[in-house]
Parts: sequence; structure tokens; C-alpha cells
Amino acid sequence: MSTATETARMITIETGRKAAGTPQNRPRIRWGLVGLWIGLVISALIWITPFLFMFVTSVKSTADISNNPAWSLPTVWEWGNYAAAADTGQLWQSGLNSLIISAIKVPLGLFISALAAFAMSRLRFRWQKALLGVVAMGSLIPVQVALGPLFSTMLNFGLLNTKLGLMLPYLAFGIPYQIFILYGFFKAIPEELDEAGKIDGANNWRLFWQVILPLAKPALAALFILDFVATWNEYPMALTLLQTQDQFTIPLGITNFQTQYGSDYGQMNAYIIMSILPVLIVYLMFQRYFVRGALAGAVKG
Amino acid sequence: MTASTTSSGRRLVRRPGRAGAQWRAFLFVVPAVILFAVFLIYPMISTVVMSFFKWDGFQGSVPVWVGIQNYVRIFTQDPVFWRAFMNTVIWLVLSLIVPTTLGLLLALGLNHKLLGRNLLRSAFYIPAVLASIAVATMWVWLYNPQSGLVNGVLRAIGLGALAGDYLGDQSIALVAIFVAFVWQTTGFNMILFLAGLQGVPEELVEAAKLDGAGRFQTFRAVTFPALRPTTLIVFVLTMISSLKVFDLIVGMTGGGPAQSTQVLALWSYQQSFSNHVFGLGNAIATVLFVVSLALVVPYMIWSLREENGR
Repeated sequence: MSTATETARMITIETGRKAAGTPQNRPRIRWGLVGLWIGLVISALIWITPFLFMFVTSVKSTADISNNPAWSLPTVWEWGNYAAAADTGQLWQSGLNSLIISAIKVPLGLFISALAAFAMSRLRFRWQKALLGVVAMGSLIPVQVALGPLFSTMLNFGLLNTKLGLMLPYLAFGIPYQIFILYGFFKAIPEELDEAGKIDGANNWRLFWQVILPLAKPALAALFILDFVATWNEYPMALTLLQTQDQFTIPLGITNFQTQYGSDYGQMNAYIIMSILPVLIVYLMFQRYFVRGALAGAVKG
Repeated sequence: MTASTTSSGRRLVRRPGRAGAQWRAFLFVVPAVILFAVFLIYPMISTVVMSFFKWDGFQGSVPVWVGIQNYVRIFTQDPVFWRAFMNTVIWLVLSLIVPTTLGLLLALGLNHKLLGRNLLRSAFYIPAVLASIAVATMWVWLYNPQSGLVNGVLRAIGLGALAGDYLGDQSIALVAIFVAFVWQTTGFNMILFLAGLQGVPEELVEAAKLDGAGRFQTFRAVTFPALRPTTLIVFVLTMISSLKVFDLIVGMTGGGPAQSTQVLALWSYQQSFSNHVFGLGNAIATVLFVVSLALVVPYMIWSLREENGR
């Protein structure tokens, strides 16, 4: 009983803080919060079950999978599934393609968006408001509306099945949201900074590069991470514009593996785990930026 | 809009070299405008234009003008279109209710200072960073009729009668895919609501408690009104993402069985690229475009009005 009480006290850390202010100095255990905590832990366990199941399957042999219950641990741990899956699914090739595209597209797109957001928020030119409206609208239209013409445009440019041909629409479709977020962020930077810069004789470019961009680092970092994940995961455009396996990005690699070797469940799950590892690592390393990125979107309301 | 133009026009004093300044400012937006115009605006307009042509999508073959014939065909002779339309509407309605409510509840729960709450938040949020296509493949395996976890657990706990090939069953395949969607998107809604909850004034909550308001009353009178902007964002993002739903369906059923999980985004793609009737595909894409605009424009107008009101 006393351990349970102790645990309950630990769980409801806020009780201690609250209790200090109340007349009687004995920490009160809020059983409601304990119940809430238990409920949340159970839900979280259910939420991560698909991951556990995927991992367990990824180290099982095909015979093991068909003969034993889904939740049983492997009789023999088949770590070889990983190497075999990477090999059959050409993981390194797809991974390299995705990496090249993200490494160029993400910083370049962010730079172009920042330039535009800077001009739209700090400088004056005609059709400024109209441009902002069109851009904001552009960030809200589903990409599937444009797939057919994107295909024929790339066909005409001779850019079908090339990285450049995929990166150009990626840039175009990434820009609106980033401009929208950065516009809000730049607007919030006090105008006096510009005035001070102008008196010192700074031109627009120096104002952008030396004053505004450094101040926007948190927003840029958040957008960088979000865009990396979005680019890594993008599927419909890659499906439309890429045709041969040597050009495939990771999501196409996954569907390709599923259609060709989908009956080898051990390898298939190993393949999925390897393909989501980069975004998982990015998430774990930059967790707080994800929250901040989401926040940037929400605060804009 | 008009009011703001005149007020800013009054503020602007014409200076020499203003045209030059204009041009120098415009240079900053040129790269974005070119990309945006060529690879986003042009394709969208082109979709609408090409919806009045007949084209098989092969290089060298010439599109033929057919007027509104493509629309007549999708509206009157294509049962799959209506199925896809209905499924899109069902998906939209369900996703405005289920993942949003769950996200809000989780956010309310995880806004308390609880042991390991960051870990708990991560558990719910991580699926949101995965590629939808990876999520689709995961869930196909979870639903596998022979060796999948879902059926395995149902049989083990004596509910074997409920086990089955969900993705192969016309009546529940769509719901089965939606479950995967809920798993993937709830965490994102939770994060948005958590962000919104940070803006709920603590003093008001305390004041409501002092006035003897119960937990539910406090929520209704203080928390929920303060969450209104966040709720609006969540709804708009949810509407957009439910019109785009594509990856999950491609990965889990490909629109089948018997087109029972077909949606507008996918049907448009398949008409263009699998069946080589680009005119019909573009007509369906245009319908999707119009539906998107109908949902997004009111929000845009509202948000621009807010912006000007500030």
C-alpha cells in the first residue's frame, strides 16, 4: 500500500507543488490523475504494438511466421533478414536517391521560401497581398489535382524519371507552406531593426542575410526538419514521375518490395524498419523542433 | 481589403527611385514565383483545361477537344466516380470526428504533469512522422488473415468469429484502412492541441475553479473557447489531408475490393495513368479541385479578415 502511495505521489508530481500552497501541508494524492496515467500508459502500449509486432516479424523465418502465433518470440533470431532485404529491395540505391533529393531540395527550398517571405513581410511591392493569398491557397490544394499535367510537363521537358524532374515540383509544392510560416515569423521581428540597418547603409540583401535570417533560426530549423521528413516520405509525385528502379525513392522501394517479395514477411518487415529508421532518428534527435514546427502552424490562427 | 489598401496608400509617400526599390524587392520573390507558377499553378490550370479534352497520355498523340463530354461521362456513366465521391465524403466526416476527438482527449490528458509524459507523447506522435506508404504496408501485415496480429489476438481471446480478411471484405475494407489512418494521424492532432493548450490562460482556469466550477464546466467555459483557433486549424488540416488520402489506400487495397475503397484522388490517378483516359482523370481531378476550394476558401477569407483586423 505504501509503495502504491509512493508511486502515486511520483506520478502526480504536480500534487507536491499544489500542496505547498494549500493550508494543510500533507501532499494529497489525486487518484483521478493516477487513473488517467494508467489509462494513458495502456493506450500508449497499444499504440506502439504495431512497431513491436513489425520488429518481431522482421527477425523470424518464414516457417516460424506461419507455424507460431503472431506474438511469439522468434525460435531462431534471423538477423540475416535485414541484409537480405536490403539486397533484394535495393535499399541502398533507393536510400541514396532519397538522400540526394532531400539534401538538395530541403535547404534550397527553404532558402527560396525565406527570400520570398522576407520580401513579402519586410519590403513593399505591387500585388504583395494578392501573392500572399495565392501562395496560402497553394499550400492547401491536394497535389493529386496536378499529377496528370505534371507528368506531361516533365515528359515535354525530357525530365521524366530524373531526380531534377522530381525536385522541381517538390520545390514548388513545398514553398507555399514555408512562405506562409516564415511570413508570420518575419512579421513578428520588430521593424526598428530594419531602420537601424538602413541607417548603417545595409542593402536589402544584407538585411536579409545578416539580420533577419539569424533571428529566424528556430523557425528555419523546425521547417527544415518537417520538410526533410515530408520529402523523405513523399509518394504520389514520385509514383507519377519515376519509372525505373534505379531512380526509385524509399517509398517506391517499399511498394516495389511489397508487390514483388511481399510474401516474405520477415524480409518485408526488415525492409520497412530500415526504411523508416532515418526519420525515426531525425525525430528522436530533433523532437523539440517537431513540436515547435507544429506550434508555428497552430499559432498562425 | 479595400480599407487596408487605402490606409497603407496614404502612408506611402512617393519617393524618387521607388520603382527601383519595387524591382529590387521583387527580385527576392522571383525564384519562388517562377517555381510556383510553372510547377504548381500551371499544372492546376492545365488540369482544368485538359478535362475538356480526350487524350491517351502517350507522347505524339494529340488531345482532342470534347467539350463537357468527360463530365457527362463521370457524372452519369461512371458508378465508380460516385463510389469514390461518397467514400471521400465518408472519410472527410469520419476524420473530422475520430482522430480529432482522440487527439484532443490525449492532449488534455498529457497536459497534466505526469510521470514520463514526454515518452507517452512520443508514443502517440511517432506514427505521424512515418511515410504513409510504410504505415500502409505495416497494417496490411497486421491485418493478414493467417499470420497477422489482429486476427491472431482475436482468435486467442476467443473472438475468432470476428477474425477475417478485413481488407478483402467490401463492407469493412474502408473502415479497416481508416483505423490505420487514425493510428497515424491522432498524434499530430494531439501535438496541435497541446500547443493550443499552452495558450489557455491559467488564471482563468484557477478563477473558474475558485468559483466552484466542475472539471467539465471549466472545460466548456474556459478551455474550449481558448482552443477555438487551434480547433479551426486542426479541422482545416484534417479536411485537406482527408482529400489527399492516397498513399494509405494504394498501399492497402489499391481501391479494391471491387472499388469499395476508391476515393477521388486515387480514381483520378488510376483513370489517367492505369486506364490511359487522361480526360476523365483530369475531370475527376477538377472535381477534387473544386471541392478543395469550396472547403478552403471560406477559411482563407476568414483568416485574411482576422489579419486585417489586427
